Amino acid sequence: MSATAAHTAPSAALRFVRGINVGVAIFLVLYGTIAVLQPSYFEVEGFLNFLRRAAPLIILACGQLFVIAGGGFDLSMGSLVTLTVLGGSMLAGGNPENTWWTIGVLYLIGLGVGLVNGLVVTLLKVPSIIATLGMLLSLNGAALMWSGGAPRGYLPENFRALGRLVYREVPVTGIMPLSVIILIGFVALAAWLLHATVFGRQVLAVGDNPRAAELAGVPVGATRVLVFVISALSAVTAGILLGGFAGVSTAVGQGLELQAIAACVIGGAQLLGGRASVTGAVAGSLSLFALFTLLNLMGLPQPLRETVQGLILIAAVASSAWRMRRA
Amino acid sequence: MSASADIAVARPAREIPVAPLLFAGSLALYIVTALATGQHAYLTGEGFVGLTQRMVALGIVALGQTLTILVGSIDLSVANLISVAAVLASFIMKGEPAMIAPAVLAVLALSAAVGLVNGLIIARLDVNPLIATLGVGLILQGLLSASFSNFAGSVPSAFQAFAYGRIGPLPWSVLLLFVLAFAIWLMLTRTRFGAHLYATGGNRDGARLAGIRTERVIIGAHVLCSLMAGLTGLYLASRLRAGAPWVGRDGVYDLESIAVVVIGGTLLAGGRGGVWGTLAGVFLFATLDAVFNMTGIDAFPKQVLRGAIVILAVAVYAVRSRGHVA
Amino acid sequence: MSAATPVLSMRGIGKSFTGVRALDDVSLDCHAGEVHAICGENGAGKSTLMKVLGGVYRPDEGEILLGGQPVAFRHPVEARRAGISIIHQELSLLPERSVADNIFLGLEPTRSGLLDRAVMQNGARRLLERVGARVHPGALVKSLSIAEQQLVEIAKALALDASIIVMDEPTAALDDRDAGRLLELVGTLRREGAAVLYISHRMAELKAIADRITVLKDGKLVATHTAAALTPAMIVRLMVGRDLADFFPTPGDPAKLGPIVLSVQDGGNAVLADIALDLRAGEIVGIAGLEGSGKGALGRALFGDEPFTRGRMMIDGHEGLISSPRTAIAAGIGFLSDDRKREGIAPQQSLRDNVLMTLRAFAQRLLPPGSGAMARTAADRQLTEVDVRAAGFAQEIRELSGGNQQKVVIGRWLARDPKLLIFLEPTRGIDVAAKAAIYQLMRSLADRGRAILMISSDLPEIIGVSDRVIVMHEGRLAGELKRGASEEQVMHLALGTGATEAAA
Repeated sequence: MSATAAHTAPSAALRFVRGINVGVAIFLVLYGTIAVLQPSYFEVEGFLNFLRRAAPLIILACGQLFVIAGGGFDLSMGSLVTLTVLGGSMLAGGNPENTWWTIGVLYLIGLGVGLVNGLVVTLLKVPSIIATLGMLLSLNGAALMWSGGAPRGYLPENFRALGRLVYREVPVTGIMPLSVIILIGFVALAAWLLHATVFGRQVLAVGDNPRAAELAGVPVGATRVLVFVISALSAVTAGILLGGFAGVSTAVGQGLELQAIAACVIGGAQLLGGRASVTGAVAGSLSLFALFTLLNLMGLPQPLRETVQGLILIAAVASSAWRMRRA
Repeated sequence: MSASADIAVARPAREIPVAPLLFAGSLALYIVTALATGQHAYLTGEGFVGLTQRMVALGIVALGQTLTILVGSIDLSVANLISVAAVLASFIMKGEPAMIAPAVLAVLALSAAVGLVNGLIIARLDVNPLIATLGVGLILQGLLSASFSNFAGSVPSAFQAFAYGRIGPLPWSVLLLFVLAFAIWLMLTRTRFGAHLYATGGNRDGARLAGIRTERVIIGAHVLCSLMAGLTGLYLASRLRAGAPWVGRDGVYDLESIAVVVIGGTLLAGGRGGVWGTLAGVFLFATLDAVFNMTGIDAFPKQVLRGAIVILAVAVYAVRSRGHVA
Repeated sequence: MSAATPVLSMRGIGKSFTGVRALDDVSLDCHAGEVHAICGENGAGKSTLMKVLGGVYRPDEGEILLGGQPVAFRHPVEARRAGISIIHQELSLLPERSVADNIFLGLEPTRSGLLDRAVMQNGARRLLERVGARVHPGALVKSLSIAEQQLVEIAKALALDASIIVMDEPTAALDDRDAGRLLELVGTLRREGAAVLYISHRMAELKAIADRITVLKDGKLVATHTAAALTPAMIVRLMVGRDLADFFPTPGDPAKLGPIVLSVQDGGNAVLADIALDLRAGEIVGIAGLEGSGKGALGRALFGDEPFTRGRMMIDGHEGLISSPRTAIAAGIGFLSDDRKREGIAPQQSLRDNVLMTLRAFAQRLLPPGSGAMARTAADRQLTEVDVRAAGFAQEIRELSGGNQQKVVIGRWLARDPKLLIFLEPTRGIDVAAKAAIYQLMRSLADRGRAILMISSDLPEIIGVSDRVIVMHEGRLAGELKRGASEEQVMHLALGTGATEAAA
């Protein structure tokens, strides 16, 4: 540190600006625009349906957030979603009696994928972006292999209910989608884990400076493995919800991992670790989903979503690099 | 004075002659598999030409990727750029021999522009190269998929000579691959740009203090890498007789090009490595491809295996490194 | 000294970073054949001034004149073309490239577009001879010792054939023997007519080679005097702005020594051999040795970072083996790395999160982060105890000065009440005032019954702070000295020369 290091804290104004979650602001603007175009979005029911469709992305972003906070990336999430949906339909074979053990098996698969990702990164020291890209390839291959290239079977009704069931005549809100309840529970769990436990602090320390964390006694390897497990389990959860309304296809999870990363970045998470917030990730995924909805309403072709995501990623990271240089 | 440094300096890795070992090992695997499965056609001259032909697409793009990795960057947009190049080439050509030259020029110009954008975002805006090129790749793919959903146009038969034509027993494309490899080797080892590329990748601040304009070096490496991706796109358009917006992604050229570069002994952090290692890595992948064919393994398990092989290959180098990766 | 126009003159240089004045109206000049030393505390602006001269930063105010002509550099390449060569504080060599490649980096000779390897090899050989390095031009830099690398760095600076040579703490990473060799070279350069700007903390060096000395403080020029007119005490007073009478703490009381906390027998690994050591509660043991003597490796072995692979260890009377930092911490050992940035702090986390890191590393994962001993009040108590100066304890630690960061890391260990604390180069890169505070802290920790192992390359600190000094040589313990030993005694052991030849 030289004399350039400020011995004083950043000014209150600067801290306030930093404190505003960009994601929340962007979301409010975008959602407002949508609602002007489609007034039904202003109603509670419209908003809850929006949430229901956004739920898988939000859950993925929360899972991805743990990996990002720990300094890595999980690019295998989308392919795990695909595997969950395809595997679910293969295992359950349309029989409602199979639903619960199928879900159990799916979570076991998720656990295995997360463990492998984590162990490859910590023990074999393969950078996570490569390790999980390799996992992406393998899982896509496995999903296709399992389903024989074309999806067969279908998800039983009680399985699909998790993603699509909507309770009617609920007090206060009128309707309540089951997936929104699951979403709220999941987000609460993630927020507790990252912000209100010792584990959360360990993740941030490991992401910020793994070597310092190791010399301070933090179990770096175990922490790393756990974040990949959390990420994989959230991908399975998202896959189960998505299976409820997206149908069974080999492309169902494609590109979701990048959407999740983009959502975290919009929500102020720092790539390569050390800074992350669940509120931000939720706001970021809502913004991204609102943006997609808006693009749809405006009649832009679907593939432009990717272009928009690319722009967002670069802009978000460039602006945070710019902020770090100035501060 | 003993040479051992006091504090935790990374233990010097043993210097292994990576390229020849990889090459010999792959060749042995190829021959043994061919003998074991009794497919002696693979062992004829024609069989070996076929093997080298499998190297071309991945080889050209991997040569480019070698440059970005050496300079301490990386390029995840190559797969998408390959698709763009392939589609653009066949779209402009539309089967007209007269349009070959304009199409090739357009593709190369666009590729150079993409490389310039990648380089500028990384060097000037200080964006992490993984993110920058991932973002640029997404932008390209989105624009491409929004404009084309299937094979677009076609290439005239004259252009197909690029992939299928031969000079003597040797295909043009294989020749091109080796000429490019030689040219890049010369550039890396015998020119100032090459020396500065290694320096920038090895220690960017140190290189800057030594008076090297590191931003230009990084941008230059990205432009060259994108040009290579564009060439690969042209080659694929020629081989498939038309470009389609999925050719790059289906070939997983982003991940595989990184994998072969790393397998070839180039440091993922930059500053050490070279083209012959990369070519040896490409040869290994071509061999594996051929071996999968000989043994009749299906497409899907093949994909699973390739994913696993990529990870293991990187792990072989990474596992000895001290400290943590993220 | 010639009365002609100075080769270099800097006039009224000012530079700010986000509102902080790093340099304020600094003017100095340097003549051909002159060594002009610049000193000042860390953060006084020395390195910033040199970076302005080298084209790394552009000054906000003032101008640089070379031979009377104003110049403005926008990139280091322009400063180099103008004949300014800078040996920066951190080594900037490329470990994976050859010595010749490094020496000619950015100046590669070419013939018809291709590198001229023969010219490079011969040129490198000549320059290496000149700096007295017995190194092959084709050798990879990573195979060289730190001292050899420093010499290559100097050869690299000479390759430019510069009229102005700037050395920014060139001896910081060197032991006294290699430093002596370097000073001789500076003398040669001066005789050959170069203008040398020499930045250093070491008083002995300044007296030995400087013609004039300029002192900077808080970005301002305090004074420029001829070296003959200044004594070391005067320089320190100018640097600090006050006397440092009680710089080193009072020694410990031998009568109050406690039981043996840690004992090692026949310890060894790839770098170390035959280590036998007893550390007692209440004492500060200094470990001295040259670069490469294994003194850092000893600290890391005791802490399990690069553990012993042979020998026996007794901790608090129980036999045990320390295989990882985690087991060391569990056994009551704490460790301060010499590389604070890379191995000490989690830069973006708050002071509280940093000071609680070790407590949390051993807590149940699902507990609230502020439960029990990890409460905010407890964190604040730790931070207050080590006297951290910060705007607030919720501040990110990267915004603090190096000395304050170091205090936070010390505080981290106190929370677990360790029996033994290992300090690796505890004051490297820390200014004079914060140094004194850290010495006092070490003493008070020892007085409260902890054993302190201080591993340091700074001889005055080893002698001034330690209750006894152990000297290492080539991975072994070369000998032990009582408090009050002289620097010469330490150097004899460190060099392995016995009493025959004194240090250069």
